[in-house]
Amino acid sequence: MIDGFRRVGRRLAVGVRRVLRVAKWESARASGGVDRRTLAAGVALLLVAGGVVGVGVATGVAGLDVDQDVYRVGVDAESPYAEAIEDAPSLRPVPAGSASLGDSADAVVVTVVRPGSGDDGSIDAADVDEVVVRASDTQKGEAAAASVREAVASHNERLMRAEPNQTAAFPVVVTLRYVGRTTGVDDGATLGGSNGGSDGGSTDGSDAGTGGGDDGSDGGDGTSGGEGGDSTGDAGSVGSGADSDDDGGFAVPSIGGAAFGANTVGSPGSITPPFPFTSLLLAFAFLVPMNFLIQAYGSSILDERTNRRGEPLLVTPLSPAEIVAGKTLPYAAAAAVVTSLIALLVGGGALSVVAVAPVAATFLGATFVGAMFARSFKELTFVTVGVSVLLTTYAFVPAIFTNVTPVALVSPLTLVVFDLQGEAVSAGEVLFSTAPMAVGAALLFGLGLGVYREEDMFSQKPVTRKFLDALAVRLSAVPVGGAVGGGLLDRDRLRALGSVAFLTACTIPFVFVAELLAVAVLFALPVTVSIPVLLVTIAFIEEVAKSVGLYAGFERGVFERTDRVALAVGLASGTGFFLAEKATAVVQAVGLTDLFLGRAAFADVAGLSGLPPLALAALFFAPLVLHATATSVAALGARRGRTAYALALTLATLGHAAYNVGVVSLG
Amino acid sequence: MIEASGLRKTYGDFAAVVDSDFAVDDGEVFGIVGPNGAGKTTTLKILAGLVEPTDGEVTVAGFDASDPEMRRHLGFLPEESPLYEEMTALSYLRFFADLYDVPREVADERIEAALDRLELDHRERRLGDVSKGMKRKVAIARSLVNDPDVLVYDEPASGLDPVTTNSVLAFTRELRETGKTVVFSAHNLYHVESVCDRVVVMNEGRIVARGSVDGIRERHGETTYRVFTDVEPTATPGLDELDATTEEVGDRFRTTVPSMDAVAAVREAAGDAGGEVVDIRSREPSLEDVFLDIVGRPMPGRYTGDPGGDGTDAESDADGDGDGDESETETARPAATEATE
Repeated sequence: MIDGFRRVGRRLAVGVRRVLRVAKWESARASGGVDRRTLAAGVALLLVAGGVVGVGVATGVAGLDVDQDVYRVGVDAESPYAEAIEDAPSLRPVPAGSASLGDSADAVVVTVVRPGSGDDGSIDAADVDEVVVRASDTQKGEAAAASVREAVASHNERLMRAEPNQTAAFPVVVTLRYVGRTTGVDDGATLGGSNGGSDGGSTDGSDAGTGGGDDGSDGGDGTSGGEGGDSTGDAGSVGSGADSDDDGGFAVPSIGGAAFGANTVGSPGSITPPFPFTSLLLAFAFLVPMNFLIQAYGSSILDERTNRRGEPLLVTPLSPAEIVAGKTLPYAAAAAVVTSLIALLVGGGALSVVAVAPVAATFLGATFVGAMFARSFKELTFVTVGVSVLLTTYAFVPAIFTNVTPVALVSPLTLVVFDLQGEAVSAGEVLFSTAPMAVGAALLFGLGLGVYREEDMFSQKPVTRKFLDALAVRLSAVPVGGAVGGGLLDRDRLRALGSVAFLTACTIPFVFVAELLAVAVLFALPVTVSIPVLLVTIAFIEEVAKSVGLYAGFERGVFERTDRVALAVGLASGTGFFLAEKATAVVQAVGLTDLFLGRAAFADVAGLSGLPPLALAALFFAPLVLHATATSVAALGARRGRTAYALALTLATLGHAAYNVGVVSLG
Repeated sequence: MIEASGLRKTYGDFAAVVDSDFAVDDGEVFGIVGPNGAGKTTTLKILAGLVEPTDGEVTVAGFDASDPEMRRHLGFLPEESPLYEEMTALSYLRFFADLYDVPREVADERIEAALDRLELDHRERRLGDVSKGMKRKVAIARSLVNDPDVLVYDEPASGLDPVTTNSVLAFTRELRETGKTVVFSAHNLYHVESVCDRVVVMNEGRIVARGSVDGIRERHGETTYRVFTDVEPTATPGLDELDATTEEVGDRFRTTVPSMDAVAAVREAAGDAGGEVVDIRSREPSLEDVFLDIVGRPMPGRYTGDPGGDGTDAESDADGDGDGDESETETARPAATEATE
């Protein structure tokens, strides 16, 4: 036993040593392959990119005002509005007396005081009879007037917050809690919004209560909560008399909204759902270096294939996995270092690094496969751009909805946003968010490794054929001889069918990712549209996942083209998919299936409480019957050729979609 | 040292190697010759464990060819030798020595010895900046960093200039003297003849002849005689039966016959026509003739790439009549010859 462990340990040590040797050489080679000018150009590009991101970040984080002193506003120094105008970055106060609209001022604040007031030289709120803002009749004048409105609103807000008696300042407190729609089918958005508005619709205060000492500055509850107050009642003299709208002037609002981010305090009309702009922008910074990294990595992999340069490596004692691991390690290490640095710079923690790691791995894995399949650097360029766009979209777009819906967790970048917002996430959420990409990355490397051999590496086949080769290499022939029954237990046959089931099971992370992406893409559509489309899309994704390997097996001559073999591999594939699908129970842990679309996509059968055990068992195994049957149909088509496969796949998809409709109806 | 039995490799419907059996003894230089597409490279790659045979078994140095451990005993030189051009010769060779777990001191010793013998200078120059011949030498040195028992060289001298070709072939001969077993492929028969103890001739995936070069020449080539006369020999039934052909060459007539008996018949026929024999020459079969006899088509590259210009038929032009052209003529392919050892 101990000897066994020692042997394994020694083998592991040898493997690690070999990987490190290749990694060391790859690092030296990669650094030696870039001349100084290219390096300088790369650094310059990075600096420019960093500068752009930095400015963006600075704008978001530090409130850097790029619109400083854009509008000139005439206002008397004694006016109660003077302070509001001075405090607004975009406004530059000019003396009202000398202001000329359209010439030396874009807008003028005219304060009409009550007769007899202001004799002492100062005007307070009580002295104001009427306030009118006049703006020049130009677009700039209109924009200036709007800025004045916002400036006054913000000023009011600050005054209210500064009040020692917050109850007096905010007599009515509205608690907002943003929740995703979970049930019901209507013509509204599939997810998001509120439950009839009663939980905090932006204009409704049905959960309102009287303020009781809240200071109005609460940070909210978790991801999206916030507190709002209505200050329209008596917000001070500034706004009180602003409703008049005579001689071209306009009313000054009581409160204004910020450009980004949820307003947690303000009037109901100004409160918007939270949008984590700054965190998103910072999270995006994690993705930028990946694009540079995969260019270098993809080139290095393809370089091995160009002119058979990597052939001598294949006759060394190193296994393909060791070679690939060694070649990948420097890039993975670079990704880790850069990610950690960015996390350090933007205030992220370990969670950010953990979340970005599978994204980086997927970037590298997809690029590796692409570089193994590409026939030229030109093709590789398309591959890397495709990888970059697809993965950036997959990672970034769902993260936009971080504070809106759990669907956002399909992207690990959402965890980064949470991390940057200082919000805690559960282990289940981390697993849900990172596992599909992590497993997907591993499988991508596995797929590429399948063709990391002399026979495939240096051949110039189209990408689709290489893809089929990569799948077929994981399969083995299914023996067809022997009696039925006893033959099923034949070891070779079991092994062959096991490899079919395993290959199909390995597609689950990609199926999962594809389905989540479909959910994310479709969730904004009305349910009446999105649900049918989603059910068919998901059926198609799953049927392709289950049968494409079988098609590869038949096309590459691994499987004998008989109905018997087709049925056997179809059943095996369906079973493999069923078993792997059950492993996605992690979805349940996160609660995605609470969402209507989530249930349509992932729940097998919902609302089954109260059913007898036999019925439950039947329903539990119903997906097995579905997968085995549909995949057998597709396999029967696959064994006959491409056209028959396409037709059979369509048939299987329709059957599967019908089943999905049934499941949703049951729910 | 190497045993191959029932080797078969197919790619879809295409059979690259068909039912190949051969064995290579310790310390032997074994040649595989044949035209492009004959299956030589596929066979070598099967030996090197790079390609898995569809059928058949191969053992190299006592290991199955698919066993990674076998590779420790193998040095492989592919047909093309594109190297990592960012690296220097020294760093490149050290890298490969590392992969074989060769200690640095030992590796440096071996690298120096190989580079010295191959007369490779510019060891610190980037490989992208050195000539093709130099790259080939570096590739050969790479095949030796692990001090292998078996060397598999695929067209080691292909496309090199005559000087480098001679150098590479001489180095290969020396390897035999150091006890290495070398399997060597070439489509240039003269390279094989100058290096190999035994050869197999492959055509369309099959071994069509095997044995020593002399033995194969003996079996598949015939000595012919050219009888030059001042008149055209009179056609006689006896002469026709001897498969003689007569051509007019300048002011003489040349009759080619397969035996000395036939020479006598030509002499007689010339006398009947009122003339006489003015010259008789015998012609040994060239390797080209042998190959033509075996595979039914001439060797590619007959007139290129052979060291010292020995690729041309030494005899064919001796009489200045241009009969070297004959091997450029495509002829119908005869049935593959099942040669014996």
